[in-house]
Order: sequence, then structure tokens, then C-alpha cells
Amino acid sequence: MPEKPSDLIQGTLDMLILKTLALEPMHGYGISVRIEQISKGVFRLNAGSLFLAIQRLERDGLIDGDWQPTENNRRAKYYSLTQKGRKRLNEETREWGKQVAAIARILEAS
Amino acid sequence: MSFLRKITRGLRSLFRKEQFDRELSEELSTFAELAAQEKIKQGMTRQEALRAVRLERGTVEIAREEVRSATWESFVEGLWRDIRFALRSLRKSPGFTAVVVLTLTLGIGANTAIFTLINAVMLQKLPVRNPEQLYRLGDNNNCCVMVGLQNDDSFVLYSYSLYEYLRDHTPQFEQLAAFESYISDISVRSPHDASAEPYKGEFVSGNYFQTLGVGASFGRLLIPQDDSQAAPRVAVISYRLWQQRFGFSRAVIGSTFDIGGVPYTIAGVAPPQFYGDTLRSDPPDFWLPLVGEPEKWRLESPNPEWLYLIGRLKPDSKPEFTPASVQAQLTGELQQWLNAHRDIFEKRDWDQIPRQHITLTAAARGVEQMQTDYALGLRLLAALSVLLLMIACANIANLLLARGSANQSQMAVRLAMGGTRLRLMQQLLTESVILSLVGGLSGLYVAYVGGHALLLLAFRGANYIPISARPSLPVLLFAVGLSLITGIVFGIAPAWMNSRSDPAEALRGSGRANSEKSSKLQKSLIVVQVAMSIMLLVGAALLTSSLRNLEKQNFGFVTEGRLIVDLIYPEAGGYADSQLPALYRGLQTSLSQIPGVQSVALSTYSPLDGDNWNEWVYIEGRPADFTGVAPSWLRVGPHYFETVGTRLLQGRVIDERDVPGAPRAAVVNETFARKYFPKGDAIGQHFGTNDVKNSGAFEIVGIVEDAKYQDTRGPAYPTFFWPLLQVPPGEPLRGWARTIELNVAGRSENVEPAVRQAIAGVDPRITVLKVQSFGEQVALNFNQERLIARLTELFGALALILACLGLYGLTAYSVARRTNEIGIRMALGADRGNVLGLVLRSAVAQVGLGLAIGIPAALAGGHLLASQLYRVKSYDPVILGATALILAASAILAASVPARRASRVDPIIALRHE
Repeated sequence: MPEKPSDLIQGTLDMLILKTLALEPMHGYGISVRIEQISKGVFRLNAGSLFLAIQRLERDGLIDGDWQPTENNRRAKYYSLTQKGRKRLNEETREWGKQVAAIARILEAS
Repeated sequence: MSFLRKITRGLRSLFRKEQFDRELSEELSTFAELAAQEKIKQGMTRQEALRAVRLERGTVEIAREEVRSATWESFVEGLWRDIRFALRSLRKSPGFTAVVVLTLTLGIGANTAIFTLINAVMLQKLPVRNPEQLYRLGDNNNCCVMVGLQNDDSFVLYSYSLYEYLRDHTPQFEQLAAFESYISDISVRSPHDASAEPYKGEFVSGNYFQTLGVGASFGRLLIPQDDSQAAPRVAVISYRLWQQRFGFSRAVIGSTFDIGGVPYTIAGVAPPQFYGDTLRSDPPDFWLPLVGEPEKWRLESPNPEWLYLIGRLKPDSKPEFTPASVQAQLTGELQQWLNAHRDIFEKRDWDQIPRQHITLTAAARGVEQMQTDYALGLRLLAALSVLLLMIACANIANLLLARGSANQSQMAVRLAMGGTRLRLMQQLLTESVILSLVGGLSGLYVAYVGGHALLLLAFRGANYIPISARPSLPVLLFAVGLSLITGIVFGIAPAWMNSRSDPAEALRGSGRANSEKSSKLQKSLIVVQVAMSIMLLVGAALLTSSLRNLEKQNFGFVTEGRLIVDLIYPEAGGYADSQLPALYRGLQTSLSQIPGVQSVALSTYSPLDGDNWNEWVYIEGRPADFTGVAPSWLRVGPHYFETVGTRLLQGRVIDERDVPGAPRAAVVNETFARKYFPKGDAIGQHFGTNDVKNSGAFEIVGIVEDAKYQDTRGPAYPTFFWPLLQVPPGEPLRGWARTIELNVAGRSENVEPAVRQAIAGVDPRITVLKVQSFGEQVALNFNQERLIARLTELFGALALILACLGLYGLTAYSVARRTNEIGIRMALGADRGNVLGLVLRSAVAQVGLGLAIGIPAALAGGHLLASQLYRVKSYDPVILGATALILAASAILAASVPARRASRVDPIIALRHE
């Protein structure tokens, strides 16, 4: 069994999903695979928390869902970033960068 | 914007729930499928792959529940589902539902009824414009007519002259009104009636209605110009009188009524809700200008203090308009007036003048007479009804726990299927709240009916009470709020307990650990219930025996077969003093001739009718003694003492020889004799009133036993009795015989028509105010005590029933659960006695523990009650023992029903039970 995946920092999942969708529209499983791949297996999402976040983002109007057929003859909802979602992603990325830099400075200080 | 969007999305998914669910399921299963495909590509079999995905990513069902439950509409929907589910499951157990709803109906109903009373009596403001602007000059309810300085140096009663001074020197008041501190019985004859009828009247200053800020519903109200000697006499009638007596007839306005022998023109009608300045039973039917007061000397002399004052402060934010500075200014004005009128006070009181002051109190509720009288009683009742509701809650919590244990496997299944504990608790609490809301709704009805009964009980003897038991908005809100709280209070612990089942354990069919815990909680609830019940029962027993002691005490008179008749004489054009002997003789003779009447007497007032006159006395040859209270006095005619049943101890009673011109005689009571003649030589001594020079006026000719005329709890006041018509030298006659006492053979009420006829025969202008039995007159003194005692008894009985019900239920439940065990025990040789003992032992333990906690608590509670109790110690061992015994015996009896059933179990059947 591989090393147990880490828990996400509170509130960052939304940002990761937005970031993932910034490249291209994707369905739920696609999002989870992409996040897992890029994080090199550090973040593995279970279905519950993933779709909870998707639902939240969709209700906030940050992403939009659209049913499309998948490669193996099923139907999946493909999500894409809205205008508002793109703006939010930029804001959050900037904020995140600021915070990380700040935290890094604090950790390096001593 | 995004909030609106959330709502619309939510609403859309709420109404297209199926589609929303289907889509979510499809997304989730696609997700699982795609994940599985990946695993299959890596070489797993399909089955292995699906299992791995479930383990790594969670099952579709749980994920769906997780996503769904995060939305607000799922909460609403869940609530709706819970409500339907609860209603269905309640319908399936009608017995349980009925018991719970009934318990809650009584519990919430009792509390709501008490709150109705509290709301009506304590919280309601006067139905006038901006009642918050009203302030009263004075802080207690001393009544009637006084002279001299006032109790605790705080002025409450004012002379007319002092009123005028304050009114004209305090510009901060928009208006300052004066009115009599009591309302009067007046005899009124309308233009269409041959004879007069008794009504309630209040004499008020001309600006009374302007001060209170009310307008006429018809005609006009009094104005300052009406309150002058020169003006024609006008009166205002109450809306209720206009409606009930005159059927809204407009002709009443402008017509002339004979009020106490004086013609008054009716000017108008007060508004419908208006009951005057004081919340009281039988409020005024007529408002008359002060100038019409029959005792005219009161307006002219600065001596008598008999007016209450209420003013309306101007709405001004300047510092001199604050109540505190107005109060200081009023005290200053009072001092100036008192100093200018020094001569009307006794010299010995002069040094107290600088201490006299006026306390300004908020009068949004008017003169708070009933509020003061009932504050303690209502607080007590509120506490007791809350206690009752807590007992009811404990009982219902217990029933819910038992029900929960029965539903344990259902809970386990729901937990195993992905229901969260919070969700289950929400469902269980929904059920509780539904129960309590239903209970609250029917409780409102109980409160209405019960509140009405409470009012009748609290104001026994009143013809009309300006208080309604009809549920108002505050009462409605109170009932709903209380129901919600109640539902949560009794529901939360069972919900917590019952949603805790461990699925695996419960499904295996044992669920032992959990039921152990919940049965421990059940037992402690019984203990708590027993403890609270004993408190209520002890309280009920104490208050009941206190009431009995009050009612059955030796008053110093006899009420059996006695009838009291109160009269109103025609005031103006009435009688000259010289006509009184013939009048009294006429009444005496014609009433004595009624068949069945054994004796008749006349007096100025009668014991415990609310009246009390007192005056300092000067004993001949002794220094004046102003210690204690001034002795009470009344005038009585021949046969008085035998008619009211007060025994003569020494000397003689007042009789036919004590007429004007004869040597002045007086009878005194034991306390009077003991106070002024401690050597026991009262007979033959002389005393007088008003001035030391009168001290030789009256000779004491007899001593009678003490009788209570005013205070039912304390000792009798020192009292002296004068003949009806003998007056101190050089003084006018004060006090007419307004009361007739009759001693009647058989039922005293039966002679009432003959009595009325006889009085009309003597002089038709005399109005009979009321005829009632002496017993009833005395009983009216204990209205509040009776209200509290009866309610506490009711609460105590309910608590007892609930405690028995609770113990019965718990025992029955535990017997049912232990059927198997009992079977084994019996198979192994235990006999019925053993089984009975086994089951009862735990019931006895709970009751015993409950008593052990409850009795000290009851002692502590009784200590708080002590001031309310009459000749009962709050720790009365007989009462404590008896109530504990009754409670224990009934509880054990209740528990023994299922216990006996258990002991009759057939071992074979019991063993087959599982």
C-alpha cells in the first residue's frame, strides 16, 4: 500500500479545482486524477469531498457544468471555468502566493 | 447576487429533486466506474477494482449523502421528511402519543394559564395614550383617609389643598390629576327607574381624563371647568355600563341621574378598555368630579389626606424634566407647604417635617395595587408550574428512552446505511418538537379555560374583572416558545442516547451496552421526578393546611347562620341626626319580625369586610400613650355581640339603654383592656378621643373577647365599641350604621328577599348594596391563599400521577426486557415472592433515592414559603412524613402492577421468548 495521502489544507481544494479547470473543461474524475498526478499522489480526493466542492463552486457561479459523452460511452458532466471563476482564481493565487511567501519568511527567520 | 443565486439553485433542486438526485448519482457512478477502469487497466479483476475504489474513494451512497446534506434545501427537505416520518410513527403508536400529548397539554397549559394571569395583572399597561409619561406621587398603597404625617415619611395620600399647591407649582407636569384612593359605593337612579341601584363611583379631579390621555367614546369626558362648585354637576359613565345597562342608548347622554340624592347630567362615555387609574375588580361605573364628594369638609380643610396623585410629565429632555429632578422639586414643594401649615399637625410631629418626602414612581400601569398584592403569589405559582412542567419533561423523556430502545435496530440500520448521527438526532428532535407543539396548542385551550377558572378563583366575589383570559399575542408567543423549549428539553437526551447505537452491535441483536446506559438515565430521571414531585406535594400540603388553619381559626365571631347586609343611605337630603334613632329602631324592629331571624344588629361596619377605622385614645388620669397602632373603633347597636357571636367576658354589652343623652358607654376588647389597663381594672374606667380634655367621656362597661376585623393572620387590634348614636361632647356624629348583621335559623340566604322588602318598607331611598353570608364575607379574605392552595394541590396531584405513571412505565419496560431472565430464574427455583422482590427492589431504590434528594429540597423550598404559611411550620414532620408516605405508597403500588405480572410469568413461555 502506498503512503497515505495527505489531507488538504482547509479551503485550498476550491482553488486547486479552479486551477485544474483553467486549462480545459473536465469531469469530476478527470479533476481528481489531474490533482493526484500533479501533486505526485500527495492529494487523493474521495468522491464525497470532491463533489461537495464542485457543487459549492457551481452554486457560487465560479464553474459551469455541461453533460457530454465520455470516451467509453457514458455520460459525464464536464465543468468549465466561468468569467467570475477565472477572476476568483487569479485573486486566490495572488493571495496564496503572498501567504506562502510570508509563512516561508517566518519559518526561515530563526 | 450570489446569495440569490444560491437560493434559486436550491429551490430548483428542491423542486426538481429527482433530476438533481439522478444527475448526482450518475456523476458519482461515472466517477466510480472511471476509477475502476483505471484499476482494471492495471490488471485487477472488475470485482477487485470496484472494491478498491470503494475503499479508496468512498461508496457512492455515502458520497451522495455527504454532498446532498451540505445544501440548505436538503435541510428543509430533511425537516419535511422528518415531520412526515414523525407523524407517521406517532400515528402508529397512538397510546404513546396520547399520553405524551396529554402530559404536555397539562404542563404547558398550566404554565400558559399562569402566564396569562401574569401578563394581564403584572405586565399590562393602562390603556391610555403614552402611559410611560405617567408618574405617581408616592410609593405605597396606603389607603383611604388619614390625618397627620405619613408612614415612613413618604407622602402618598394628599389633602386637596396640598394637591392644588403641587399642581400649581410643578410646571414639568403637562397635567397633574387627583382622585380618591378608594372607590365608593354609590346609589344611582336613572330617569326611567323607580328605585336606586348600587354602583361603583370614583371622584376625580376635572383634569383626570386629560392627564390620563383618554378621549370619550361618546359625548365628552370631564374637563377642569366641571370640577367647581358653581358648575352644574356632570358625570362620565363606563363603556361597559353604557353597553350592558343602557344598550348603547344615545339618549343616556344628557339625561339626568340621581346619584346619592344629587342630580347629575351624564356628559359622556369613557373608552371601551378604560378601567380607571387602578387595575381592580369591579372598577368604577361612574366618574364624578371631586367637588361632588359628599363629605364636603374634605375639600375645604387642609387636614384630611385622601387623594392619590398621578401626573403626566412633559416630554422634554432638559435636565429639570427628568423624574429624579421632578421628584426632588416635589419634595421641596411638600416641605414648603408643610411648613406653611404646621398648625394642622400635632406638635410632637413637627420635628419630623424635614424628613417628609415624595417618591415619584412610574405609573404606566397606574396605581399598582393588584400588582403589589399578587406579585408574590404569582411568582410562587410560576415557580410551581415550571416545576410541574419539568416533571412532565422527565416523564416524557423516560417514555422516549423506552421507545428508543425498542427502535434500536431500526436506528442501527439507518446508521449503517449512511445516516449521520446528526441527521438521526434531527429526526428524533423533530418528533419531540412536534409532540410539544401539539401539546402546546391544546395547552393554549387549557390555558384559556383554566385561565378563566383562575380569574374566578382569584377574584371570587367580584361582579366584573377588567382582565381577560383570552389568549393575546404575548400569550400565544409564550406558549409556542415554551413548547419549542419543552420539546428540546425533553427530547435532547433521548435523541442523544437513541442515536448512539453501534450498528454492528445492535444488528447482532444484543445492544446491551447501550441499553445499560439508557436504563441508567431512565432510572435517574425517575429519581429526579420523585424528588420534584415530593417538593410539589409538600408545598401543596403546607399551603393547604395553612389555608385550612386560616379559614378554621377562631376569629372571635361565628359565621354559621349569619347574614351581612350592606346599605347605601341617600347622602344629600338624607337624615338629620335627630331622625336616626327612629330609623335605626325601625330597621331593627322590622327585620326582627322576619320569620327565622333570631337576632338583628346594626353597626358601622362588620368584621373582615375590608373596613377599619382607628383613632388614638386618651385614658382618664393617665399620660397619653401613642405606642403601637391606634385602636380600631366601630359603632354597634343592641344585640351586636350576640348576633356576630362574639362572647362577653366581663361587664355588659351595648344595649337599648345606650342612647343619646344617657351616660356614654363603651365596650372594649381584651387586647384594648390589656394594653391600657394591664392591672385588669378596665371596667368602670373612662376614656375619650381627639383631645385629652375628652378623656372622661366614655365609661368602659364591658370587655368582649378579641375578634379579627382587619388582619386575618396577626393578633386582633385593640378595639373599642361605641353605641350607634352616642358622640363625644361637642362633636358631630361620625359613622352611620351601614351594616346590618342577622343571625338566622336555617339557610341564611333564604331570608334575603324578606330582608330587602323589610328595608324598603322602612325607607325606599335606602339602597341595599349587597347581602351575603358572613361565611362568604370571611372567605373573600382568602382569595389569594385559596387560589395558590388549590392550584398547588392540582399541580401536586398531577405530579403524583406522573410519578406513578413514570415508575409504572419503567417497571413494565424492564420486566418486558427481563422476561427471559425471569423465566430462567423461575426455572432454577425462584418463587413468585423472589421475582416480585427482584422487580420491586429497583423501584423502591429509585423512590427512596428520590425522597432522599427531594425531602431536603422540599425543606429548603418550604423555608422560602414560610412567610406565606399560617400556623404551619415549613418543616412540619407530620406533613413531610405523610406526603412522603403517600408518594412512596402510590409509586410502589404503580410499580407492583407490572411486577406482579412478572411474577406470574410461565417459565416455559418466558424461555421461549427470545
